[in-house]
Amino acid sequence: MRLPAPLHDLYERWLSRRLPRSGRVVLNQKRIFIFPTGYGFFYLLVASLLFIGGINYENNLILALSFLLASLFLVAILHTYRNLSGLGIRNGDSESGFSGASGALEVILFPERRDHLCLWLYWQGQAAQQVSVTGGEESSLWLNIRLNQRGRILAPRLKVESRFPLGLLRTWSYVSLDHYCLAWPTPQEWPQCPADGGDDHSQQVPTGRAGNDEFQGLREYSPGDSLRRIDWKGYAAGKGLNTKLFEEPAGGRLWLRWDRLEGMGDEQRLSILCHWVLTLDQQQLPYGLVLPGMTLAPDMGDVHRWRALDALACYPEFD
Amino acid sequence: MRVYQVPVHTRLWLATALITCSLPQLLLGPVWQSLLLGVVVAIRWLVDHQRMRLPGRIIRGGLLVAAVGMTWFSFGRIYGPEAGVALLVSLFSLKYLEMVRQRDAYVVIVLGYFVCATALLFERGPGMFLFVLLSMLLLTAALVGINHSETKARASSHIKTGSVLFLQAVPVTVVLFVLVPRVAPLWNMQLDSGKARTGMTDSISPGDISELSESSELAFRVAFEGALPPAAERYWRGLTLSHFDGRTWQQAIPRGGAVDSYLYNGRGAPPDWYQQLQAQGKPQSGYSYQLIMEPTQRRWLFAMAVPMLEEGEASLARDMRLVARAPVTQRTRYSITSFPDLRPAIVLDVLERELMLSLPGDSFGRRARTLADQWRRDSRTDNEIVSRALRHFREQPFHYTLKPPPLTTDPIDEFLFRTQRGFCEHYASSFTFLMRAAGVPARVVVGYQGGEQNTLGSHLLVRQYDAHAWTEVWLQGQGWVRVDPTGAVAPDRIALGLRASLRGDEEAQDTLEGLDSFASGGLLGRLQQWTDYVDFRWQTWVLGYDNASQLQLLRHWLGEASPLRIAASLVAAISVLLTLYMLILLRQAGTRRQTVLEREFWRVHQRVEQQVGHPLAQGLSPQALARVIDLKWPKAGPLAHQWAVYYQQLLYNPGFGAGKAQIRHLRRLRNRLYKLLD
Repeated sequence: MRLPAPLHDLYERWLSRRLPRSGRVVLNQKRIFIFPTGYGFFYLLVASLLFIGGINYENNLILALSFLLASLFLVAILHTYRNLSGLGIRNGDSESGFSGASGALEVILFPERRDHLCLWLYWQGQAAQQVSVTGGEESSLWLNIRLNQRGRILAPRLKVESRFPLGLLRTWSYVSLDHYCLAWPTPQEWPQCPADGGDDHSQQVPTGRAGNDEFQGLREYSPGDSLRRIDWKGYAAGKGLNTKLFEEPAGGRLWLRWDRLEGMGDEQRLSILCHWVLTLDQQQLPYGLVLPGMTLAPDMGDVHRWRALDALACYPEFD
Repeated sequence: MRVYQVPVHTRLWLATALITCSLPQLLLGPVWQSLLLGVVVAIRWLVDHQRMRLPGRIIRGGLLVAAVGMTWFSFGRIYGPEAGVALLVSLFSLKYLEMVRQRDAYVVIVLGYFVCATALLFERGPGMFLFVLLSMLLLTAALVGINHSETKARASSHIKTGSVLFLQAVPVTVVLFVLVPRVAPLWNMQLDSGKARTGMTDSISPGDISELSESSELAFRVAFEGALPPAAERYWRGLTLSHFDGRTWQQAIPRGGAVDSYLYNGRGAPPDWYQQLQAQGKPQSGYSYQLIMEPTQRRWLFAMAVPMLEEGEASLARDMRLVARAPVTQRTRYSITSFPDLRPAIVLDVLERELMLSLPGDSFGRRARTLADQWRRDSRTDNEIVSRALRHFREQPFHYTLKPPPLTTDPIDEFLFRTQRGFCEHYASSFTFLMRAAGVPARVVVGYQGGEQNTLGSHLLVRQYDAHAWTEVWLQGQGWVRVDPTGAVAPDRIALGLRASLRGDEEAQDTLEGLDSFASGGLLGRLQQWTDYVDFRWQTWVLGYDNASQLQLLRHWLGEASPLRIAASLVAAISVLLTLYMLILLRQAGTRRQTVLEREFWRVHQRVEQQVGHPLAQGLSPQALARVIDLKWPKAGPLAHQWAVYYQQLLYNPGFGAGKAQIRHLRRLRNRLYKLLD
């Protein structure tokens, strides 16, 4: 059911006032809504039919059954509400992605005092996922999110829903987590490398290893090193996990620069920079990144790439 | 389209609930219904286990048509209570077969609640009600099950959740039952339970009542408010029979009398006999009681003379009986007060007198008439004639027996002068004949006499074998006076009841052995008293809780049964209950449950404390605990530190991933550590 646009806006504003964003939310009376489902109404219809039958046949037992059905419904309100009440939800990890593709956000559910069974979590446009929180332990759930534009994509309003135990009532809550997913710019191919330093004339893409970096030695692997630089032969020979070190490329350090792409729109600049970050990473050339307000020293490896991509995603506001 | 699968852990509940709900109808209805349910359950089982495909629309449609057809064939129609319920149960089974979406599962269960209730149309005992509650509990468990979409849920948890819901719902139900006002029926739907029962018929010929005496079925119950009348006064009048054709006594009204002036239902202008009765004023002493009639399919009720109805739907007849508005087709409760002292106020007019003196043709009872004439000549008053007649019965060798010899042509003379063996109807019939022949207006009254007292509820239980017939004679100044010739022959019958009066009778032994009575045995008799008591209370408190008793109870509790007060107390009672449940359900657990990691730490801590022999310092961190171990058992030091580091990693390092494997590793470390501590 869609409300007319002005009403819908009002409703949205009321909701966001009532349920402000937060990194950690425990569902309570203020946040929980409850309403009968279609089956609930069907059930009440049957209960009223029994009531009418009991009255007409002057049969007290049938009347008692209709009262029992009504009482079960009343008690079910409490139990359905209880299944959601006291459920805690907080931010988990996030998985960034290129804009136009999808990322994922982790949501962690933790129980305050009781088990929560058969919860359905989803946000607009995504299939619901089911999870139960039992035994006093946390459960986590990855929810996909469409990355429609570059930047910080805030978590949409999350709907937590439950019909347990009888399915006659639906209780739900909206949770606005203060959680975001970074959408990297979509890479855009561009023949000119927007880089300073190194060989000014080597604007053609240097292909392959080009022999301009020389093997220097080994050092112990530390997380974040590029997998392609690991000394796999040595690892296979039982020498442990080591990373190969190379000399600086002959052309010196490459600085990918925002300024080199003058006369273009911001998004296009970012897309081109993104393309080059990926290209240079693939070629295992160390590179730095200079954006207005932010500089990333030249380096290489997975962690460095992520940092660079995140910086591109965050532009123009860096933490 | 994917066919909906009932969760594995719920299949059994659903199938059990289905069978339980249908069971009352299956036991009553035609056999094909059980076959249908069996086939449906079998197919469903095969489908659930992937042994066959779900039958297509055509087969399901065919089954539906067949069910409707068979219902028509068995009942001759597809509407009406019996046929309707039979059809409903068949459709219920078929819906179970047709479960292709989750929606269908809901429909099956909610329909099941309805099917359960229909069983109560035909049988209203406490046992049946408990059975229906059990079916509803199973349905609720199935409902919980289909909402529990976790595949690893345990089947037993459903019935637990269902029971908790049920137990909490019951007090709310009781509140609703007591307080929700009973509305008058919206349209009339009298339901005939259709059982052919033994009981009084509206005419009597020799042998009718002795047949009744072979049944110990319940006729009615009477609960007195206040003192019970003495056993010899417990005459429950049902019918008066005033026309005799020589063999059969029948009901009759005086020639030319209008039927509607014979009955007065309390509305409109009262007939003259009722006005005269009213003119007497209400006597002070009377017996107040509740009469709970079993269904008789007849209109007359049973009461002591002279009954005045306090509550219920019945009219007073001119011959001091109560007549219900419609045949009694189900247990019905009436509040009655009987005033024995009102008897003289009943008048006898000329036409009625003529009827009460009428005799069959001259061919019947010649010797009896001669005897009566002689009494007439020898006596000065009617009273004296009655005493002479009673003396005659006492002094002649009359014998009271259940197995009287058959009377063929002239029942009166044959009985009085030849066989002289008979049951109460023989005595009543011949006595009345003699009275009429002697010129005393008389009539036969049939009903019940006596009744057995249940000591638990102190109500009387009147059974079919208490059926009795006696005579009423009209005496100037005294009105209709009861005379029981059977009492003259067998005084025990009146004082102690049928069983006691026939104890010495060899012929009656096999009949007597078949009859129930509380007196029949120690434990068994006690048990029967209890069963009867529960049944009686069920009848008065649950089934008989109608508009009138509700108003009475509410007036007693609330002072005044105004709609506002009822509504307020309803809301208040339910709010109190729900608030109480809310507090129980949402209470903060008194002690917080330990997490797995907390428990791990606590175990090591306990073990070390136990081994060290004195309490450890408060607030030890894992590292500090490891240092304690290191100091005491240097050998275990490295392992203890390893354990502490791993523990802290698990606790604080989000990248560590505290999963099951890690916990297992921690446990292994702990066990290795234990071995070093000694």
